[in-house]
Amino acid sequence: MEGGPAITLAALSITFLVGLSRAMILFIVTSGLSFVLGVLRVPNLAHGSLYMIGAFAAYSITMLFGGGSVGFWLALILAPLVVALISLVAERSLFCHLYQREHLMLLLFTFALMLILGDLTKMVWGADYRSIMPPTILQGSVSIFGSPFPKYNLFLLIIGPLVAIGLWLFSSKTKIGKIARAAAVDMEMVGAIGINVSWVFAFAFVLGCFLAGLGGALVSPTISVTIGMDHNIIIEAFLIVTIGGLGNMWGAMVGSLIFGITQSFGVLLWPQFAIVFPYLAVVIVLTLKPTGMLKSVW
Amino acid sequence: MMKKNTFIVSLTLLVGFFTISLILMPATAQAKNIKVGVIDCYSGPAAVFGADALNGFKLALKDINQQGVLGKKIEFTTRDSKFKVDLALNFAKELVLREDVDILVGTINSGAALAISAAVAKREKVPFIAWISKSENITGKKGHRYVFSAGENTAMAGKSGGVALATKPYVKYWIAGDDYEYGHAIADAAWRNLKARKPEVQLIGKSWWKVGEPDLIPYITSILAAKPDAVIFATGGGSMVNIMKTIKTTGMADKVGIYIHSATDHAVLNPLGINAPEGVMGTIDYHFYFPELSANKRFVSAYKAAYGQPPGFPAFQGYITAHFIAEAYRKAGSLDKEKFIDALEGLQIQSPAGRIEMRACDHQAILPMYFGVTKVSPEQGFAIATDIYTLRGVEVMPSCKEIMEARGQ
Repeated sequence: MEGGPAITLAALSITFLVGLSRAMILFIVTSGLSFVLGVLRVPNLAHGSLYMIGAFAAYSITMLFGGGSVGFWLALILAPLVVALISLVAERSLFCHLYQREHLMLLLFTFALMLILGDLTKMVWGADYRSIMPPTILQGSVSIFGSPFPKYNLFLLIIGPLVAIGLWLFSSKTKIGKIARAAAVDMEMVGAIGINVSWVFAFAFVLGCFLAGLGGALVSPTISVTIGMDHNIIIEAFLIVTIGGLGNMWGAMVGSLIFGITQSFGVLLWPQFAIVFPYLAVVIVLTLKPTGMLKSVW
Repeated sequence: MMKKNTFIVSLTLLVGFFTISLILMPATAQAKNIKVGVIDCYSGPAAVFGADALNGFKLALKDINQQGVLGKKIEFTTRDSKFKVDLALNFAKELVLREDVDILVGTINSGAALAISAAVAKREKVPFIAWISKSENITGKKGHRYVFSAGENTAMAGKSGGVALATKPYVKYWIAGDDYEYGHAIADAAWRNLKARKPEVQLIGKSWWKVGEPDLIPYITSILAAKPDAVIFATGGGSMVNIMKTIKTTGMADKVGIYIHSATDHAVLNPLGINAPEGVMGTIDYHFYFPELSANKRFVSAYKAAYGQPPGFPAFQGYITAHFIAEAYRKAGSLDKEKFIDALEGLQIQSPAGRIEMRACDHQAILPMYFGVTKVSPEQGFAIATDIYTLRGVEVMPSCKEIMEARGQ
């Protein structure tokens, strides 16, 4: 006998909230990818590897400080910075020589980097499964219509919008944010008025990678941290950036919400084919609006 | 004149050198070591199992090669299948045709093991020992003369779950798991055996998620809403840590009975530390702390000294694979592949967990299964299995008659 899932009010609301919280992680990672795409025109396939390194770094930092709550909060701050540092080195030594190359070259280069970072991660951390727990205050669940919903997912629902607001303030209110946006439109002109474009690019790249690291650190308490995480996220991230509009931060948000929520409702309504739902949504969006939901900066 | 002389001298030396090497060559070939071709996954999420099995295998070879086997040493060469069936198959062919290996072993991917078994072992008549693949088809329906299994399989795991759960008071069950062959095979075997022993059990629903599904909360919510007495989770690999975390977060183990094969495996419990959920029922064919035999203690301390962590079930299975190979060659008295197979059939070896026999009828190692319940051990810093009771190998394996029926013989 085959029983279907019970579709109750509790199940619907939990499903919606789970979809939303998953979308927040996706948004944080893809907004970084989208930013790098928008400003630097680099389709960075190694973005997923940086997300994975962020998760592994969060694990190591948490363990270094005793594996408890203090360790986790420190990891949440330090792990993205570790990733930012790695990306700064990569940008200054490699990427900065390649911005003028065609996209195919950049794709091949970042693909190679993805493989290298994947193997380096395995060499540093090994192949074991690793796991960290949320800080004590965020452990366990709250009851929503009688069903358990993890407190940590509530925390993600707060963090996601904060990151979005922070990014928006940065790119529209600060000088360097405005320069970065200007450089995205016309790099030569920005250089001609005496601004060091090279360092603006380095900054934009590092910021995008910082967000990948932050996403990795945030996701680490909810999953097992393991090699192979990079491949899972990078395909989803590129799809989201595409349906949202290349380089558009709010597009990344809209794309993440579509992806996260269709995925979790697919699970509830038709578990055997849940995997199809987000991709179906991508197909529908791209058929109706090939340039993505919102305006692409390209 | 001088030049011509030099040329003749060099030519003579060269010809002489070749002649001598040609004469010596068969002699060196005689002294050829026993060569094992290892195909397994050493990158990606499944690498943890491949690496553990290889470590156990290497540790056993250290002892074996001190004594030697038929005056030779056992050496091995590895290939990383990256969890891909086609790659594994290509490597298996390459190892047999180019590297001329005497025997093949591998792999965590059951699909790859079945492919190697059918397309290389059977066709090229090279013995293949599946050491950590868990599909029951390897030695069941798709078994043949050239394939062996040194590890437990889904039929054994599912049957041990079914046998153990039949003693529990639960009536209404829900089955959920990873939507791939391992998940379905283990769930079917557990349910079939539970139903046979306790006909009043009911299956009130099933849910299957894709392998690697990051968020299991929605599934758990809909399962709990249906109010089953117990849930059988059929998950494996990386999903194990996810499902255990979700059980802990939702406090599910306090509400319903939960059985997951390999929930008591150290590779699953170790990453969770003291935050592992308690009261989850599980089965596995090896614990580094059980059975408390001196042979097991020696194995564990040697393994810890070499690799800095206790051995998991793959290490145990890799270790006994090496001993099966060595003992079979000793018994066969030659490197002949057919004689090796005859020798391995019904062979018994001493293992860290007692005597283990390679069953002659289906080439499946007879391994006991340990049923236990998770409990956090604060002094060790991780959860272990408690209230362990042992299901003997013959109790949890399909009979030879069932195997022959499955093979249509």
